[in-house]
Amino acid sequence: MNRSTLRAYLRVVATVFLLHLKMQAVDLFVVFTVLIQPLLIALLAIYIQRDKAPDIAIYLIVGSGMTGLWSGLLFTSSFAIRGERWYGTLEMLVGTPTPLGVVMIGKVLASVLLSLSSMVVGYLMAAALFRFTLYIMDLPGFLISLALTLLAFVTFGLVIAPFFALSPAVEGWVNALEFPVYVLGGFLFPILMLPGWSTPLSYMLSPYWAAQALHATSSGSGSVYPNFPVALDWAMLLLFSAIYIFLSGRLFGMVLRRAKIDATLGLQ
Amino acid sequence: MQGLIANLRIFLSGAVLSYVALFRWFEPIRYVASKIILPLNQILFFTLLGTFATGPQTASFYAIGNALQVAAISGIYGVTMSVGGERWEGTLIYLFGSPANRFFLFFGRAFVHIVDGILGVVMGLAWAALLLGVDLSQADPLAMALVILITTASTCGLGLLMGAVSLVALDTFFVNNMVYFLLLVFSGANVPLQNFPEAVRTFSYMLPLTRGILATRQIVAGASLAEVAPSLLGEAFIGALYLALGYSLFKSFEYFAKRRGRLEAM
Repeated sequence: MNRSTLRAYLRVVATVFLLHLKMQAVDLFVVFTVLIQPLLIALLAIYIQRDKAPDIAIYLIVGSGMTGLWSGLLFTSSFAIRGERWYGTLEMLVGTPTPLGVVMIGKVLASVLLSLSSMVVGYLMAAALFRFTLYIMDLPGFLISLALTLLAFVTFGLVIAPFFALSPAVEGWVNALEFPVYVLGGFLFPILMLPGWSTPLSYMLSPYWAAQALHATSSGSGSVYPNFPVALDWAMLLLFSAIYIFLSGRLFGMVLRRAKIDATLGLQ
Repeated sequence: MQGLIANLRIFLSGAVLSYVALFRWFEPIRYVASKIILPLNQILFFTLLGTFATGPQTASFYAIGNALQVAAISGIYGVTMSVGGERWEGTLIYLFGSPANRFFLFFGRAFVHIVDGILGVVMGLAWAALLLGVDLSQADPLAMALVILITTASTCGLGLLMGAVSLVALDTFFVNNMVYFLLLVFSGANVPLQNFPEAVRTFSYMLPLTRGILATRQIVAGASLAEVAPSLLGEAFIGALYLALGYSLFKSFEYFAKRRGRLEAM
């Protein structure tokens, strides 16, 4: 890829990002999923943990923020390509010289960044409504964890988007996939509470490693390996991002095949 | 007599057809995902969250609360979509133009969802017993059956009110999600009511589910029907109140829609 092509792709990503951000910010379903639902989950967690809540407030805020990140990613990414099909714009999008995957990067990036607002709003609620003293234990570590989380989530979204477009049969499972990742990801309680057989499932999910890294750097909790608390989490996030990039490349190839050779993509 | 038969026919056909209209749920995969897997995971998540905070001995508190909350999946989402769907599918104009009895027509939208909701709660309690070790051996079966029936019906009462609201709301899913999560937080499914401030507790008692969940926990602990009767009566009253409110709104929306000639965009 030469420099002018890269510049053109970046321009597309930026344009799609801004347009999608504007559309998502006024979509009440998205607003509820990424902003209100995590806030209500945070409120619930604070009331459940009543006595302990002031001491573990940052853990609850980060955990409930993770629920917003995952729900936002799941619902918006699974609809990213299907939505174009609904609007009747998928064929035009596939027909443009810019690869479909590049367009989707802008969409998924906008969704993931918007979902991050759930953590900020949760933080503000805990500070303003409950007067909790909130501080992040290792700010530079937390920011690096956040950046790697964003990378892992965006690349995960690039797998989810073509996967759901290719498999209408799994479309009906979107709602059912929300809570299992809250559980297996250890967002609001450690996975040690789950039966042993489910641990490998958690290890196969990048949201689990993201939650580990964010919890470990924000509140010092949640690390399975105390000697090198976040190094493994960061490495796993990078590894999963690489795997997702590879997988999404293959899946987008299949989407284009359906669209251009079989001509069946828009008909599903 | 003929009028009664006609009304019953409208009630039953409306009940069945409005449920069939939510055809996506009839695909086995969608039904399994929405009505079995989702409730199971929700029960597991909130029970684990609760026991992490308060210890494994409280698992039954959270499992029972969330099993009852399953009633809201049918009661809120199902019923609201059945009523509100008339607007989005463009059939509201025919509905308001027909001479059918409005009460039977309106209440019929909730009927199958009550049955479906009861099934959901029973399944939720079965998950609670099988996976989370909730002991149901002390429960009086008759009292349990009554509390499930009344709680599901009262939740559908709120669903009918939300259905009427969805005839004028901009985004039905936003209304549905908001009500569903407010129930999850404030009905006592996950937080003991005494943990809330007084004003919030008053709000909790204005919701369906709250008394039903309290009564179910008492029944599981061995309480008799007579002991939980006040809670059941309260739950039935709240449900009837929401149904009456929903019906009044539905009637007034019809009145204003016809007067203003804005049936599809009230």
